[in-house]
Amino acid sequence: MGTFIQLVVDGLATGSIYAALALAIVLVNQATGLINFAQGGMAVVSAYIAYVFVELGLPLILAIILAIVLSFLFGALVERFLIRRFERGDPDTAVVVTIGLLTLVTGICAVLWGYNNLGFPSLFPLTSVEILGAVVSVRSLATAVTIVVIMVVLQLLFLRTKLGLALRAVADNPASAAFSGLPVGRLLMVGWGLAATLGAIAGVLVAPQLTLTPGMLDTALVYALAAVILGGLTSPIGCVVAASAIGVLENLVAVYIPLIGHDLKIAVPFALIFVILIVRPQGLFGRKVVVRV
Amino acid sequence: MSAVAATARRPWVRIVLAAVVAIVLLVAPLALPAFANQTLVRIGVYAVAVLGLNIVMGYTGQVNLGQIFFVGLGAYVTAYGVNHGWNILLVFAAACAVAGVVGLLVALAAARLGGLAIAMVTIALPIVGVPLAKRLSEFTGGSQGISARFTDAPDWSGLDNDQWQFYIVLAVAAAAFLLARSLVRGKYGRAFAAVRENEAVAASMGISPYRTKVLAFTIASIFGGASGFLYLAAVQYTSPETLSFGHSISLVAAMVIGGAGSIAGSLLGGAYYVFVPQLTNAIDPNLTTISQGAILLAVLFLLPGGLVSIPRVVRRLARRTGAAGGRSAARSTAAHSTAAGSPAAPAADTSQQTAPAHRPVPDSALEGHEQTERQDGP
Repeated sequence: MGTFIQLVVDGLATGSIYAALALAIVLVNQATGLINFAQGGMAVVSAYIAYVFVELGLPLILAIILAIVLSFLFGALVERFLIRRFERGDPDTAVVVTIGLLTLVTGICAVLWGYNNLGFPSLFPLTSVEILGAVVSVRSLATAVTIVVIMVVLQLLFLRTKLGLALRAVADNPASAAFSGLPVGRLLMVGWGLAATLGAIAGVLVAPQLTLTPGMLDTALVYALAAVILGGLTSPIGCVVAASAIGVLENLVAVYIPLIGHDLKIAVPFALIFVILIVRPQGLFGRKVVVRV
Repeated sequence: MSAVAATARRPWVRIVLAAVVAIVLLVAPLALPAFANQTLVRIGVYAVAVLGLNIVMGYTGQVNLGQIFFVGLGAYVTAYGVNHGWNILLVFAAACAVAGVVGLLVALAAARLGGLAIAMVTIALPIVGVPLAKRLSEFTGGSQGISARFTDAPDWSGLDNDQWQFYIVLAVAAAAFLLARSLVRGKYGRAFAAVRENEAVAASMGISPYRTKVLAFTIASIFGGASGFLYLAAVQYTSPETLSFGHSISLVAAMVIGGAGSIAGSLLGGAYYVFVPQLTNAIDPNLTTISQGAILLAVLFLLPGGLVSIPRVVRRLARRTGAAGGRSAARSTAAHSTAAGSPAAPAADTSQQTAPAHRPVPDSALEGHEQTERQDGP
């Protein structure tokens, strides 16, 4: 029983990382109708930026905050100078642009910092506490709490602030939003900036565990995409639930079904997707979209 | 300039050209050094993979990030069949069939979601494929990979191995290109284009977007399997590294850089896939990834039609400079004129391109009459 609880708690902790990336993907998709495959790559850049500040002797928390601010700018600039040009065009082209961006930022990281694993200091103490017979590291706990806090803040931002209202308006119908006098371009930049910020948080949270490499979040991105499909592209809460479920499930399966084990556990969410897609094509929490010709 | 283009469109010129190309291709391996032959063979291998990707991505508009998985699958099936002494034709059929069946199963689930779901599901294929290939070691040889030799030149032919491999790849690749060409020009090609442009409209015309997408994906997988067979014919060895995520992204890049929605572009894409890493590796291996990303973005910005559209772009630039000389005063009014061919646009060039011409060209603001920008949503 102790092992079981341990696995569930660990799964929730990793699931929260996938959730942060998934939220960023949903945010961009809500604002622009695109899937940003470079989300993980941009988050890795943020983690490297924080690493550079730490190396320069800044305190860790300050380095992270600086990296987050810079990530917001980076995301906004990427939208303005790269994505903007393809937003109204063919969505497939725009997706290939984000794939190009993923390749480019991975390459930049590799040139600047190499492929060697770099140690990244943890924001949280490495001690652990015992809950219900399971040893839970303070780091996992704090990571999960951080993600939940961010999710609540995002929800409040979207539902209770004017900025959130404007972002939702642009997402829903850019043309109508423009007619109502909303600065659509600037709002899209803000949307990408926020998504990059979320990615940055995921990056600095996961970097101590995985150590910094250019491809650090490739796997996490795949899990996040799985969570997005399962949760539905239109539902941030659905994504978080799906990401947590995937985190827990893969941990349990890896231990309790030896046939799958640790190396094949990444296949679990996709096996799940295949089953669910046959039953519910719009995802667990997604809405059915009706298209008019 | 346009006289040359008109001559090139005459049927007998085309037949003669095709014959010349065929003879050159048949004679070339006998004259070229082994290294050149090997390079050409590898271009052929990847051109078939890119061709398959083009059918599902370029023509049908479904982003597929997992094409390398099917190449790897075809390669593993080939290795298994060869090492178990199967007839080589049976091996080839099995490589295509296994990849096709797996592709069909993936598409049946992925195509249900529509939109970008195929992209999101297919990105998992290489990422799941690598540990899977390591795990199924009795079939795949685990991390060490598996080798199979079946393309040594037979004694009666008097050829070297590289020449023999060239002819095998040439035969399969030529067949694949001819098949793909007639496919995309026929009934199914029109269905693909309809689904790419607007699924709702396609459905209203009686074309099932779901079935069309599944079909395109399955065909792409079969081409991937064939490419895997050729890969093993050329390299004679495969390992989980063959189907890594990075290679899958490179295939997509090669497809776009060669020219999405273009048969000839697939060949250029195969050449890009083989040459550019060779080049950057020679300079500095660290630069391979960064250059790939930079080239892909640069092509998307400057040459949305890919390398295959260079002649067209050059022709347009030539026309513009020619027109600017005589009519610089009339130019501003010409640019604002209606969609009917303005005097600045000769009739021969209004045909534009057949494939994905609808991507906004960076300098299209200057040529309002040629712009066919797409509007999304109501």
